[in-house]
Amino acid sequence: MIKKSKKMLAAYGMVLPAFLVVMAVVAWPILEAVKQSFTHPDTGTFTLENYKFFFTTPNEIRNLLYTLYVVLVTVFLAIVIAYLLAMYLRFVKSPISRAIGNLYLVPRFVPGLVAVYAMITIIRDSGLINRISQLFGADVELGMMYHASGMITMNLWFNIPFAALMITAGLGAIPDSVIEGARDVGANRWKVFTSMVLPLSIKDVVIAGTFVFMSNVGSFTTPYLMGGNSPKMLGISLFDQFNKYQRYERAAALSVIIFLICSVSAGVYIYTNLKEKEWEK
Amino acid sequence: MFKYLNPRRFYHAVGKKNFWEFIVLAAFLLFFYGPLLNMFMLAFADIYESPAVIPQEWGLKWWDFVLQQKSLRSSIVQSYMVAIITTICSMVLCIPAAYSIARFKFPGRKLFMLSFLLTNAFPKLGIYTSIAILFYRYNLMGSLPGVVIIHMINSMMFMVWLPASAFRSVHRQQEEAARDVGAGPIRTFFKVTLPMATPGIAVATLYTFLGSMEEAQGTMLVGLARIKTMPVEMYGIILDYPGQAGAVFSILLLIPSIVLIFAMRKYIGPEAIAGGFKMK
Repeated sequence: MIKKSKKMLAAYGMVLPAFLVVMAVVAWPILEAVKQSFTHPDTGTFTLENYKFFFTTPNEIRNLLYTLYVVLVTVFLAIVIAYLLAMYLRFVKSPISRAIGNLYLVPRFVPGLVAVYAMITIIRDSGLINRISQLFGADVELGMMYHASGMITMNLWFNIPFAALMITAGLGAIPDSVIEGARDVGANRWKVFTSMVLPLSIKDVVIAGTFVFMSNVGSFTTPYLMGGNSPKMLGISLFDQFNKYQRYERAAALSVIIFLICSVSAGVYIYTNLKEKEWEK
Repeated sequence: MFKYLNPRRFYHAVGKKNFWEFIVLAAFLLFFYGPLLNMFMLAFADIYESPAVIPQEWGLKWWDFVLQQKSLRSSIVQSYMVAIITTICSMVLCIPAAYSIARFKFPGRKLFMLSFLLTNAFPKLGIYTSIAILFYRYNLMGSLPGVVIIHMINSMMFMVWLPASAFRSVHRQQEEAARDVGAGPIRTFFKVTLPMATPGIAVATLYTFLGSMEEAQGTMLVGLARIKTMPVEMYGIILDYPGQAGAVFSILLLIPSIVLIFAMRKYIGPEAIAGGFKMK
């Protein structure tokens, strides 16, 4: 009994410093922000005005829908392409797949700002693609800068390697014997995929999707350097409320709104994690 | 050699399967490495005017320009200082917590891990802005500790989740075997558990360090132009300076990533990194 409580004490003792820091620098500021979002800027009384602003102003509604559009397209494309890439890396054993397997992790470690700058030099209207097209007598102006397509391209650059990495780790955990077994009893490739590979890796797909979704809803660097002024992404809208208009209460309300949007996907994530617990016991 | 530039000849020369693999490889390299390589080229271009694909004049003009900026040297020093302090602080705070989560079952464990998800779900700027208000109250604005705190927020999740999954993958029996032959708990930890969890911890450390090197938004907000790290300078350069200055500065920013990835390449793998995103 004494040994057990001693163990507990050690467990809490090791966790406590990190826990207190998270409470002090994350949870507390978030609570302050939530409180502020319900505060009237002039009178200091309770109000829903700050939230109403974002759901009644046509521009703000457009920003919200635009953000959801960009993020959902990003998540969908990133997951589909990443899944194909991960399948290739897992099931094709060749020098090329090994080379890609080494190279696809690097973008994870490239500073975001650098990657955005590099991509801009390619896709802007005087960028590399335009210059190459001029060699062939055409004048291709992609018009991707300050447009959703440019941001989605950039998001894919960041998120495909990440999603592929998560899914590769998941696929790597499926033993070859499982697949060979299914093939031996006569399942064709498609059947093996739908009844073995996909169900066994779906959890990693959900995890990847969640993090891709969350990291893009409030993203700042990419839309700041590549996005247009109207409609704009929520991350920029938030920055403007804080920096340009100095409407701190509205900025707080928008933070909470972004948080609620992210919570939906975080909820899915937690649900998949807990569900797994039951059969793992 | 040139006959392979004809796609049809190439197809027949290497066979169907190889052909498609080459296509995949080419698309992959163009999309993920093309922009970076183009940027390397631009950094060494003195004159690069449309419509040329290859610069008209090569040289180091923009390197001179960037390296002569007075603020640059101080930003490099500050970047490394902040990144090293951040990495050490979050290791000291988080690795014991990770070990505890991996080895003990205590009430509130799930909740503790969930609190890190919070840092990812709530928009960073929202956290930064309300932290800024608290920082004003405690005189931390524009100070080194303030910036370090901001940087730690970003990395704490990896620093706990990743080493936790690494510690969990060390079999208990191995620790027990060490205890059986007479090693104390501390010796067991340093001689058995820690070495086996090193890859996960190494990747987490790498993440923390590089994450701190590239953090710009929070540093801009809390640093108040007194603490200016390299990415903060970079924003200014991309937006204010013409030409290739941004490319040069990007390469300066990339150097730590390249060096560290190379140094830690044997630890970096999908399994090691994926552990940082799973709450178990």
